[in-house]
Amino acid sequence: MQLPLRLPPDQLRRRCDPLEFSFETTAELDGRREAVGQKRALDAIAFAMAIRHDGFNLFALGPSGTGKQTALMHHLESVAPEAPVPDDWCHVYNFEKPRHPKAMRLPPGRAMELSLGMDHLVEALFTVIPAAFSSEEYQAQEKAIHEEFQEEQAEAIGALEKKAADESIALIRTPAGFAFAPVSKGEVIKPDEFMKLSDGERKEIEEKIGRFKDELQSIMSQIPKWQRQTQEKINALNRSIADFALRPLVEELKNRFETLQEVRAYLDAVENDIVLNFYQFLEKSQEPGDSVKKSHAFNRYRVNVAVDNGKTIGAPVVYEDKPACRNLVGDIEHLSQMGTLVTDFTLIKAGALHRANGGYLILDARRLLMEPFAWEALKKALRTRQIRIESLGQLYSLISTVSLEPEPIPLELKVILLGERRLYYLLNAYDPDFSELFKVAADFEDELEADTEGKNSYARIIARVARDQGLRHFSREAVARTVEYGGRLAGEGGKLTARLQEISDLVHEADFHAESAGRATVGAEEVEQAVQARIARASRISEKIREATLKESILIDTETEKVGQINGLAVYEAGRERFGHPTRITARIRLGKGEVIDIERETELGGPIHSKGVMILTGFLGARFGMQQPLSLSASLVFEQSYGGVEGDSASSAELYALLSSLSGLPLRQSIAVTGSVNQHGELQAIGGVNEKVEGFFDLCRARGLTGRQGVLIPKANTLNLMLRPDVVEAAARGEFSIYAASHVDEAIELLTGVAAGEPDAEGNWPPESVNGRIVAQLGSMAERLKAFSQNNETPE
Amino acid sequence: MIIRRIAVAIDGSPHSLASIEAARDLALSMEAELRGIFVEDDNLFRLAALPCSSEIRPYSSEARPMEPSELEQAVRRQAREAEEALIRAIGQRVIRHSFTTCRGMVPEAVVAASTESDLLVLGRSGRSPTCRRRLGSTAEKALREGKRPLLLMRHGFRTAGPLLLLYDGSEGSRRALEAALALSAEGGLLNVLVLAGDPGESLHMEEALQAELSARGVEAEFHHLRPGDAKTLAQFIRMADSGLLVLSDEMHLEKEVVLELVSELDYPALLV
Repeated sequence: MQLPLRLPPDQLRRRCDPLEFSFETTAELDGRREAVGQKRALDAIAFAMAIRHDGFNLFALGPSGTGKQTALMHHLESVAPEAPVPDDWCHVYNFEKPRHPKAMRLPPGRAMELSLGMDHLVEALFTVIPAAFSSEEYQAQEKAIHEEFQEEQAEAIGALEKKAADESIALIRTPAGFAFAPVSKGEVIKPDEFMKLSDGERKEIEEKIGRFKDELQSIMSQIPKWQRQTQEKINALNRSIADFALRPLVEELKNRFETLQEVRAYLDAVENDIVLNFYQFLEKSQEPGDSVKKSHAFNRYRVNVAVDNGKTIGAPVVYEDKPACRNLVGDIEHLSQMGTLVTDFTLIKAGALHRANGGYLILDARRLLMEPFAWEALKKALRTRQIRIESLGQLYSLISTVSLEPEPIPLELKVILLGERRLYYLLNAYDPDFSELFKVAADFEDELEADTEGKNSYARIIARVARDQGLRHFSREAVARTVEYGGRLAGEGGKLTARLQEISDLVHEADFHAESAGRATVGAEEVEQAVQARIARASRISEKIREATLKESILIDTETEKVGQINGLAVYEAGRERFGHPTRITARIRLGKGEVIDIERETELGGPIHSKGVMILTGFLGARFGMQQPLSLSASLVFEQSYGGVEGDSASSAELYALLSSLSGLPLRQSIAVTGSVNQHGELQAIGGVNEKVEGFFDLCRARGLTGRQGVLIPKANTLNLMLRPDVVEAAARGEFSIYAASHVDEAIELLTGVAAGEPDAEGNWPPESVNGRIVAQLGSMAERLKAFSQNNETPE
Repeated sequence: MIIRRIAVAIDGSPHSLASIEAARDLALSMEAELRGIFVEDDNLFRLAALPCSSEIRPYSSEARPMEPSELEQAVRRQAREAEEALIRAIGQRVIRHSFTTCRGMVPEAVVAASTESDLLVLGRSGRSPTCRRRLGSTAEKALREGKRPLLLMRHGFRTAGPLLLLYDGSEGSRRALEAALALSAEGGLLNVLVLAGDPGESLHMEEALQAELSARGVEAEFHHLRPGDAKTLAQFIRMADSGLLVLSDEMHLEKEVVLELVSELDYPALLV
């Protein structure tokens, strides 16, 4: 078995050669907006935007900062302006059903024109209608109608009066009505004279009076009818006058909207309503409260423009930053009047769906889901393909007042949700509507290929950020350093991170350092400074732990050799930064029944993956050493001084080395820290966070003094992920620190013990001096001891 | 024309309300005393005392007998309302005023009560059952037998509005001219209807009057008409439609024609 490879310095860090770039500084680049290395996602976007069927809305998923919005906007900027401009929409009063305001569609820009036209109409009517009604013609006609009534009445009564006078009976007006009385010489007969008359004469008079009384009563009964007729005539006159005054104004509006049948029908309704309610325009407001009441009355002739596309170029692209329900589907607002809430159609407020209708609506999925009722409201709109404005307050009976039900507006748009992958998968799993409504997913990559194109795209992004934000441009060396940083963030060989927000932030930070240094261009040093500053800012916890280790509060041996003890490597996450630190792992054995006790699991400090790793290594032990004899041991494994819990299987190889050392009695080099998971065949498998782990051990060793014997053993499969800090690489180059790569446990144990692992012969026997040979011998001896112990303690039958 | 006391007959009818306003305006401009007169109609009390009396009320299907006590109350209420109308019309203005109630036959009582005044103002008709266009009995009596000047008001007109003066150069029409000038508002237009048989004479009269009015700073508009019967005159005046008519019954025109004209014409008239 060969020894693990000591990796040469050039494999420890993938350098980006500044000479790969053809430019001197990023100022030479156009810095166009683009989505780099996201072909899959871009194809999905192009498809979703082009297909015109229902439900082909888009969910752009990927980690934040991967340029989802940039990619979308880039695509929409090229597509949207070519699309037709959608129509305008407005709400108008419904004269037949006032509680159901009408929604009216008009060609782009015409809604505002109609709104202004109606405002002017109302304004003009305040002049025109009072003028028409104060004209002499009107006054004369009105007077004539009144006089006609008077005449009619006077004629009827006059005729009766005359008839009565012929028979010496006068019709007299009393304080409350009328009465007939016998007269003589123009005066009512005095009562005593009347009594002097003969019975016959009196009876005759009474009979006459009774007759005239009946006649007068029959005339009186006609009066209400005459009054009604007069009022009807007056009304008809008023209407004709109002209509005459109004018609030219309305006609002018109608002519402007000649081709729009719906608008013409609306204007007809307006005309009828104004003719019926012309008197509103005659009243002069005197009391202070009147203006409110008045404006309320005239609101009905206003046009509430919901969507004005007059200045829109192509299809609208709307990004709603706060996708609350009322901001999406609109709302019906209320006014407080004398302590009560009132509303009318002019208080209908359009939402983002209205504005984006006929175009594209971009929403952040997380924000959308966090807004109460918003997700359901959006789905309902998409499913029914119409926007129905409902006030939440009314829907849930929070406000009890007169409500409106505006006519729904047909909806045709593309909704684009931006969100994390987890949200997409959760929605897919739990919301049956989701897959119906969002049929296309644009899955954004986390990484880019670290090829020439990828590196150049970094340069273009830097150029764009510098240009857009007015920052210094980067030299090619600075770009190269940024690319290296991107590679480190990707954490995977041959890749660069696609979380471009991180890169953009780094550009800002490097620019800050360049400014402090008085540089015109950002150089590699400033980028390095920015990177180091980032690390330093997040280093409080790592330094505390290192300090505790140096003071030996945390026991980490980096010098000697010990049996059953090894330095594993753990990665800690603190906010955005991650760092590594060694952890002592120990193994002790005793006689037992072949089980490995994971103390972490027993104390419930170990996670399931960690437990799995321990069981795997138990499997490896059993398979290798338990075929010839039973494993008569109990082993216990522990992460010393670990109190916060352990998860992951990256320490399973370290645990195995500690166990093998314990079994073989061979001490392990404490100067080499190990990482890597192991399978049941003893092969080492890749783990995450390799760079942080190596650097964590390096930092501790450097603090204690590099001896040249110190190093880290990593799985060979992780070699590609190495992107170590320059100081680590330099130490390795000077031979002060080593990074070894092994692919099998046997290779590693040889490095750690200095003793060959050994290879079994044809019978499966291990060389006695090898590590495995010693283990077999030890296990044999333990089995014997156990057997002897068992026999000695057997109870005779 | 010197007016110290103005009597106005009040009965609560629309014409009488116009009369109150006209009388008030005149009292104010001439610094005269205003005297309101309300007559409790004797006919009504006689009627109520008759055994066969019964009252027919509008909007009521049945006639009900008249009770003298109820009538008494109702008439007093009317008197009170008349007084209130007068006080309301005066408002905050500083006008010496009084209010008198008397009982009798209305025309006679009004004419009699006005004898102590320099001007009688009353409506062209009162609360007559027929709302007639012609003069009411009281106005007719005042016109025939009452003293001058007499102002017969009609609802819807004001004395401060445009005036039409009937002028034929006679002494009476000179008096009418003075009255018209006293009434016409500052800078107001005076319409003059010159009545002369001969066109030359008519023009001559206009020129003379024009000169006189110009000297007094009054703007006038002249119309010419040959004197005729009351009907022709009324027709012309209706066409001119210039508000209050100012004329005299002592002109070259026959008195009967003047009286008939005032009686026939549905316009307010000031007879001097």
